[in-house]
Amino acid sequence: MVRFENVGMRYGLGPEVLRDISFHLRPGSFHFLTGPTGAGKSSLLKLLALSHRPSRGLITLFNKEVSSLARDDLPSMRRKIGVVYQDFRLLDHLSALENVALPLKIAGAKNDQIYQHVAELLEWVGLGRQVDAKPPTLSGGEKQRVAIARAVINRPQLLIADEPTGSMDAEMGLRLMYLFQELNKIGTTVVVATHDLELIKRFGNPVMFLKDGLLTTRVQDELPATFSKDPV
Amino acid sequence: MIQFFGKSAELQLEKDVSTRYLPVVIAAMIFLAALSIGGLFSLSNAISDWSKTLTDNLTVEIAFDPSADLDKKVTDAVALLSATPGVASARAIKQDETLQLLEPFLGKNAALGGLPIPRLVEVIIAQDSAIDLAALNRKLAEAVPGARLDIHRPWLDKMVLLGRSIQILAAGIMLLIGCVTVIIVIFAVRTGLIMHSEVIQVLHLIGARDNYIAEQFQNYFSRLSFLGALPGLIVAIIVMFIFNFLVGSLEASMLPPLSVGIEGTVALMLLPFLVALLTKYTVRRVVLKSLRRMM
Repeated sequence: MVRFENVGMRYGLGPEVLRDISFHLRPGSFHFLTGPTGAGKSSLLKLLALSHRPSRGLITLFNKEVSSLARDDLPSMRRKIGVVYQDFRLLDHLSALENVALPLKIAGAKNDQIYQHVAELLEWVGLGRQVDAKPPTLSGGEKQRVAIARAVINRPQLLIADEPTGSMDAEMGLRLMYLFQELNKIGTTVVVATHDLELIKRFGNPVMFLKDGLLTTRVQDELPATFSKDPV
Repeated sequence: MIQFFGKSAELQLEKDVSTRYLPVVIAAMIFLAALSIGGLFSLSNAISDWSKTLTDNLTVEIAFDPSADLDKKVTDAVALLSATPGVASARAIKQDETLQLLEPFLGKNAALGGLPIPRLVEVIIAQDSAIDLAALNRKLAEAVPGARLDIHRPWLDKMVLLGRSIQILAAGIMLLIGCVTVIIVIFAVRTGLIMHSEVIQVLHLIGARDNYIAEQFQNYFSRLSFLGALPGLIVAIIVMFIFNFLVGSLEASMLPPLSVGIEGTVALMLLPFLVALLTKYTVRRVVLKSLRRMM
């Protein structure tokens, strides 16, 4: 599904923010990605979401080597990936329904199919009454749920979430994690980046730990209690 | 019209302040382009008319001579010319008609009757006839002393040269207008791309192809161009009508009225569509080229 081999990444001519990253995510797996602030979590997610190319190393997604992909191949690859951004990245002038429908519309689905599926999904994430609401009128948690609905509407093979529960209360956070679990059960590979060590411990999935651009895989017991200035 | 060009649903380019004045600029460009087209086709038609008229039309000029019987000379010249094979008709231009031709230059009140004005004979050459004009000129000079055949060719050649030069100038102006329009559109599109870079990035990351994004830009900008071109063209046509009215109100004017003919009318009517197409093509190229630099 996803394979990184000695991947390095830098922005422009700056220092490497990711160094020698190697890992393999099997289809249908569920991983947490954690680490202190500035460790490179967002950069790693950018590589997974195909928004950036690595500076070195090999990334294989869905059995295709990313650096060898032609530009025209990227959209179809990206349609297999759902991304939940920390800052939501919703289009403010579109309603919740239109935001969630966007991936289907871009993929060329028919209008009647689009809106039926989208309405059902919004109902499921608890936004059935706010389908016509524009993002600026929604709370942080509601926006996050719209972003999650947009990420999963296409039934992606790989779901990436960057701090998905950061903007919502504990109960709603858990509910959304259960949604990710449900998606994982039907075969979606899930990677959730989070600072919330309690959440990680509660779900018990494998953890990828990033620090200073280097990645290690840890079991639950090896995780730090908190991310202080000098964790672990 | 908005339906025809489509809306930029995700990018909402319609709300961009940066492109608000683009239709005004396009209108000004189209106004100038339409006037250039009007001039180009009018001149082309005028040159064609001059050539046609003056090729079939000659003038015999009999120099003023106070001691000679000018009326007899005119009669002899008309008789000789009428008997010449290939000459369709030869007509003596009356003194009054000659004076009328001079009125725009000398004024109505001038004492024209006292001027040493040559006598003129209008000669119409039959169609498809081959006359040796040099031989006819010699023959005429021998039979009627002081008579000279004016074939208008040197004058016509100069006028045609002038006309063609102005046509090239007008075409150059059109080209310049086209280039300026393209440059303005390129700057506007680049501004739009920068302003909407975040939305474009989101669209890319949820699987949008470059074409999907480019279509929103090209539809919006070609709509702006078309809607800007229409008032520009309308104002230009009104200006042309006013010009023709003013020219028509001048008696015996030296200025020809603007007459674009069928080809010119078609070119004018096509102008908004052509500018919309030019904009569409330009925008598409700029957007696709810019998007290619993104991941």
